[in-house]
Amino acid sequence: MRSLWTRHAPHIDTVVRRLVGPDHDVAQDVAQEVWIQIFRALPTYRGDSKFATWAHRIAVNRTLNALRRIRRLSKIEVDMEDDTVAVTPDTDRSFVMASIEEAAARLSPGARTVFLLHDVEGFTHEEIAAELGITAGGSKSQLFKARARLRKFLAHLVDVPEHMDVENVAPVS
Amino acid sequence: MSHLSPERLAALADEQPTAAELAHLNVCSACASERAVADALVSLASEERASIGLPLTRWESLSSALQSEGLISRTAPRISVARRHGSGRMWLQAAAALLFVAGGTVLGRYTAGAAPVPGFSSSVATRTVQPSDSQHTVFTSVDDARAARSKAQLVYQNAAAFLAQHDSGSGGGESPSTMRTRLAALDRVSHAMREALNDAPYDPVINDYYLTTLGQREATLRQLNTALPAGMRVSSF
Repeated sequence: MRSLWTRHAPHIDTVVRRLVGPDHDVAQDVAQEVWIQIFRALPTYRGDSKFATWAHRIAVNRTLNALRRIRRLSKIEVDMEDDTVAVTPDTDRSFVMASIEEAAARLSPGARTVFLLHDVEGFTHEEIAAELGITAGGSKSQLFKARARLRKFLAHLVDVPEHMDVENVAPVS
Repeated sequence: MSHLSPERLAALADEQPTAAELAHLNVCSACASERAVADALVSLASEERASIGLPLTRWESLSSALQSEGLISRTAPRISVARRHGSGRMWLQAAAALLFVAGGTVLGRYTAGAAPVPGFSSSVATRTVQPSDSQHTVFTSVDDARAARSKAQLVYQNAAAFLAQHDSGSGGGESPSTMRTRLAALDRVSHAMREALNDAPYDPVINDYYLTTLGQREATLRQLNTALPAGMRVSSF
């Protein structure tokens, strides 16, 4: 079990942290709950998909359940905790990740969850609808609103430089 | 036609524009630019799928919870679960290769006249490592070799688990800044290893490097949190 945890914890914990948001203590609790559920369900793993994929599904499902249970979807706090050290990112990678997480935290809980599930975790609208108890159309609507807001929050990452020829950057077929 | 709404431009990252929208995009540089930005945002988000953040769980607390749940016992050999579920072979190969690398390093240092393990005196290491014994081991059958390998793997895993729990002093002289730099470097290494594993997912050598990198990352994070003032922790680096 420790081997499985060692290998997959970086990804599983990241998924949990993204979905829970900036509340580190809640994320820690949920991550532990997720891992217990993964190991509890281990005997049912048949190997018909990659373990990482199987565990990823459990992580997402369990995290959403936990968020619903503790009613955090409607009141996730945005502010970082006072005792958290904000360290300057050393790499572009961590900077991009931090930027997306901070921007996503400014969305409404529903839009944030749909955006993370669709654009980051790779779920389809049908899968999101099943997970969240909404329609696929509702999922799309939330996603497009979320993207439109994130476009403003992440302008420093996605804006096309002014000197570029936008006609060539965005060819319309 | 008026400009496309931000929501509609965001939708065009997934959907095809209508004929009217397409005609507008062909003549409106502002909307075309915004469409490109929407595409860039979606690409950026999907690239984050493979990213790795700081760990939230620690085996020490998780194993306690698993024991409470009755999912593991204090004496249960860790290797049995992985073997039962099919992924054990790769882990055994990884452990064996790591043992081989570690043994080679120790042997190399020993034969070069240095202490087999940095910080240990030669006399202590000579008593405990005994490289000459393993160097001249002769196996009489494949079964013998497999049995020896299994035994060595278990010894290695137990040693690695013990060191992960108790050896917090190996990086004691490093500053938090140095450790964060090391974390960033380890992240780059693990990213490269993951890319390599996409091409060769069962290569034991690449798996070894990957697992070693993750282990070092975990140990460095533990050291970094120890190095920070009480009540503070790392949220990013």
